[in-house]
Amino acid sequence: MMGHTIGDGRWAMRLVPIAVIALVLAFWEWSVAAGFVRAIRFPPPSLIVASGYELLVNGFPRGTLLSAHVGATLYRILLGYGIALAMAIPLGLLIGSSWLLDRMFAPIVAFCRSVATLSLLPLAIVWFGTGEASKVFLIGYGCFWVMLSNAIAAIKQVDPVLIRAARTMDTSTRDVFAKVILPASLPRIVAGARVALGVGFMVIVGAEMIGTTRGLGALIMEARTFYRSDITVVGMFVIGAIGLVLSIFLSRAEAYLVPWQQHQRMAA
Amino acid sequence: MPGRGRSVELLAGLAGVAIFLLLWEASARFVWKDPQVLPAPTQALLQAMTVLTPRRLAEHVGISLFRIFAGFSLAAIVGIGLGILCGWSRWATAVVRPFVEILRPIPPLAWIPIAIIWFGLGEGSKIFVIFLGAFFPIFTSAWAGTAMVPPVLLRAAETMEVRGLKLLAKVVVPAAFPDIATGLRIGFGLSFGILVAAELIAARSGMGYLVMQSRQLGQLGISIFGIFLIGLVALAVDHQFGVVIRRTIGRWSSV
Repeated sequence: MMGHTIGDGRWAMRLVPIAVIALVLAFWEWSVAAGFVRAIRFPPPSLIVASGYELLVNGFPRGTLLSAHVGATLYRILLGYGIALAMAIPLGLLIGSSWLLDRMFAPIVAFCRSVATLSLLPLAIVWFGTGEASKVFLIGYGCFWVMLSNAIAAIKQVDPVLIRAARTMDTSTRDVFAKVILPASLPRIVAGARVALGVGFMVIVGAEMIGTTRGLGALIMEARTFYRSDITVVGMFVIGAIGLVLSIFLSRAEAYLVPWQQHQRMAA
Repeated sequence: MPGRGRSVELLAGLAGVAIFLLLWEASARFVWKDPQVLPAPTQALLQAMTVLTPRRLAEHVGISLFRIFAGFSLAAIVGIGLGILCGWSRWATAVVRPFVEILRPIPPLAWIPIAIIWFGLGEGSKIFVIFLGAFFPIFTSAWAGTAMVPPVLLRAAETMEVRGLKLLAKVVVPAAFPDIATGLRIGFGLSFGILVAAELIAARSGMGYLVMQSRQLGQLGISIFGIFLIGLVALAVDHQFGVVIRRTIGRWSSV
């Protein structure tokens, strides 16, 4: 860290953020109450808390509780993510371990990754309708290519010395794969899985813009058309909180699965 | 695996693409047989060439690039500025970071309704959403790059009595360049990914609009053309990004 101290203790660095946030919230509340900004544009903290409670108890649209929205969104994300991982990891291991396959797929993988997932929205509607399948497809697509390219890279970056060392000890091809290549590529695969989940969260809100009133993305959009920006803000924070919890969970899982990798951050 | 030249690699890549396109063409023509569901690549291209004039196409690409560059440039200016400030001053970190950390997990697309309320249905809301997509990776990399300058450099500068703003400008910021460049590139990719969603907001032109509108007109071939167009433009700009980075920062650091 930079040594640029202005005569402070460590405690100040803990207190300042809390104080600043409290100050901003108070100022926000006050400027709405005093009529400087309109509540529809900047729903004040008190209204957001009240709306959060309303969403929890009565639901929005009336009858669709927050838990139902969260459930629908989580279901779509986890299903699409799960399918994508189940397909991408084995395929990536296969492609990554063959020189020819890797070269043949390289341009396709690079291109499909750079295709904006949401631009597939019209295709998803034509192929899968406006129901659950199209949303799961979009999330799956986004997660699949990120996971695939990471799985391929994971196999390729395995140190050839390890493989040769195993071979000199008369290890069978199967054992080389199961006991050397797989563990050596696991860190990158797990890191890729974490990045892929982030992509799923990016996509879900867009996917839920079509043909549904259930799910946090739908809630966020729906609330605006009823001039309930307060509900929109609640939805934004809920989806952010879920994303945060899941990514913390995945970091823990990473530390558990690959304890020998001291949290080396991999870029997407 | 050594010993195989670049031309063989290129050939394998081309073969892969060719096989992919042929499989697609064949399954579209002989299995699905319905261009309303799965147009073949040739059908999509032909449809695009008959319906779109070059001028209209240039308009779509131009306005999309304008939106992306506007949002991205704002994100770069604000993100790098705030990031360096936070990496440099612990007070700035204490004030700015809580807000960044609270807002970061919110997906950029979830801001669309608020963007519409704040900025209306015009260019402002689209640019704002794109800005949000690019901002967080740029901020984080600039902050991390400035905060984690190798202590050796700082101590070396100290022995030469380089301090204060001079230290920041001559040592800390240049040392953070590689990180900032990475952040810019990631942010740029994200802003492209968000374009389509941003152009769902009452747009009348742009590549994302083209993709969505064509489906409603029953011209799925043009949708597919648009999807490829977005992907290709994204790849081309990203490639150019890489070239610029290598020419500027690559001189003293391998990115």
